Amino acid sequence: MIALLTGLLSTAVLAGSVLALAAQGEVMAERTGVTSLGTEGIMSIGAVVAVLTVMEYPDPWLGFVAAMIAGGLAGAIFAFAVVILRANQVLCGLATTFLGIGLSAAMGHSVAGLPVPVTFTPVHIPLLSAIPLIGPAFFSQNILVCLICFVLPAGLHHLLFRTRHGLNLRAVGENPAAADAAGISVAGFRFWYTVLGTSLAGGAGACLSLAVIPGWTEGMVSGRGWIAVALVIFAGFRPVNAVLAGLVFGLISALGFLGQAESWPVAAPVLNMFPYLGTLGFIILPVVLWPGIRRIFAAPAALGEPYYREVR
Amino acid sequence: MAHWQRFPTAPAHLVFLWRMAAVLTTAVITAIALAISGRNPFELAELVGRSAIGSRFGLEDLALFMTPLILTGSAVTITRRIGLWNIGAEGQFYLGAAGAAAVGLYVPGPSLLVVPLMAIAAMLCGMAWILIPTLARAYAAVSEIITTLLLNFVAALLVYWLVTGPWRDRVTGALVSTQHIHAAIPEMWGVVHYGFPAALLVACGVSVLLGRTSWGYEVRISGANPGAAEYAGMPMRRRIISVMLLSGALAALAGMFEVAGTVHRLQGGMANNFGYLGIVVAVLARGSCLAVIPAALLMAFILDAGIVMQTQQLAATTVLAITGLVLMLIAAGDELAHYRPVRTTPPAGTIERNVSA
Repeated sequence: MIALLTGLLSTAVLAGSVLALAAQGEVMAERTGVTSLGTEGIMSIGAVVAVLTVMEYPDPWLGFVAAMIAGGLAGAIFAFAVVILRANQVLCGLATTFLGIGLSAAMGHSVAGLPVPVTFTPVHIPLLSAIPLIGPAFFSQNILVCLICFVLPAGLHHLLFRTRHGLNLRAVGENPAAADAAGISVAGFRFWYTVLGTSLAGGAGACLSLAVIPGWTEGMVSGRGWIAVALVIFAGFRPVNAVLAGLVFGLISALGFLGQAESWPVAAPVLNMFPYLGTLGFIILPVVLWPGIRRIFAAPAALGEPYYREVR
Repeated sequence: MAHWQRFPTAPAHLVFLWRMAAVLTTAVITAIALAISGRNPFELAELVGRSAIGSRFGLEDLALFMTPLILTGSAVTITRRIGLWNIGAEGQFYLGAAGAAAVGLYVPGPSLLVVPLMAIAAMLCGMAWILIPTLARAYAAVSEIITTLLLNFVAALLVYWLVTGPWRDRVTGALVSTQHIHAAIPEMWGVVHYGFPAALLVACGVSVLLGRTSWGYEVRISGANPGAAEYAGMPMRRRIISVMLLSGALAALAGMFEVAGTVHRLQGGMANNFGYLGIVVAVLARGSCLAVIPAALLMAFILDAGIVMQTQQLAATTVLAITGLVLMLIAAGDELAHYRPVRTTPPAGTIERNVSA
């Protein structure tokens, strides 16, 4: 029983860390007021770039960094369109998703279905990995899981809520006109944090193709990007909650894997619906059951709205 | 002296010019990408022109692609008019296809009777599929973008489960498909079926509904100025619900036409991105249900070009990348169309004062 639970938790953390990383990137972009709906496409690009890189230079970290750079570059195009030109964010996000999925399939044509030479290998952290249940799940995975689940959220939380820079960042998302009047560069914050968000999404793609499902296959991201976008709402736009939400959904998909492995009397496609239905439930139910949550976990007031200095 | 100033409205001729520029840029970028990958873009363009417009098969394909695109495009357009996004047309398409297939598989009888039943079943299924996002939007203000989108994945899996499980083809053993469905929309011109004129009629009907009825008036006001609509006592919630349900029904109808007119089976993956492309069509049409028709024509042409490219060993998803590019550039162009140069003539004497200061 313990072995089963440990296995389940390990799978959950591994699958959840991908969502957690992408969701944290999305939190940063949305905190500045940019809805970055291209996550799905950017994760695809990250996944394929990581695989292509390790095929050439077999080092997973190099693949991860290349995926982050590719995600950042794709995000820079998106950010230029929505922040500098101020085009519609929903449309440009969808366009980025189409572009990302289409381009990644074209780029990955030659490596589709091939095994990757290297993946992120598990590292046992002394002492911590000896903790029952949690130890194997968090501290006997690849080191990236530790970074995504503990180091990055702590850093982002500190940045957002404990520094002046973070206060400025949130001001840009809540009231860009006031931030602008205070001498904060609205376009600068929005552009660079959107790029940061998409480069984390690119990294999440690398995580997926180098650790969770090694190798590239067309459509392997299969909605994880969209789930990450949805988790941000559920997480109330907070990095630490985004990690928790990612892990919860890792657990839901791990239950699906477990069901297939243990041959539960439920068809595989039905098990695969769980993460999507779960996300749907987690977005709708809290608001229905406890309407006050909307005030506490409110979205940034200027989310999705382009800022024009000359328009009041 | 002149400087560029943003105006709240975008005049039609500027929108048209910027969009032409966007389409041209897409063509140039695509040509360059093709040239880099070692193909002759001019030969490909000629081939696309010859087979997509110059041949009867190409024209028939164009009409077949247009049929679902008009319907999903209208589905997204009507939600845009009330200020919402239905990103779930893909899922409602699947549900419509599944509902139509259920009737087609299990209700015996002549096509004349079964096909209308299929349409009704499809529309009910599509409305059921959008019901939860609709109620969440209307009563709890939950963003419909994410909720409708998540259900697309569920719908695709549901259809996949149906066609590999309970409804799998036991006659010919076709994979990921139901058996042949006999009830069919009759064909009128080659493989083009009566679903095509029906889709055109539906687009016109929705246009009349939005432009010439008090329901449509209230929908448009609710979208353009929610505060004013509420102040005027318009039933916003009921309008949101009716628009979203109608949208789901239209997208589902596209799925039904595909099952009864084109594919004659329910297959996994049969939505072919028609739902997502409906968003592109709606954006191209800028909220006008009649403009959905030429927009669907352009999109169908891009899809047709994609098929020609596939015969030239290009990945099928290339067309998705091209669509993304054109959508991004058009979104940017639509925003840039708000800018016009304004002549600023300083009052007499200003310059001298500035110089002395």
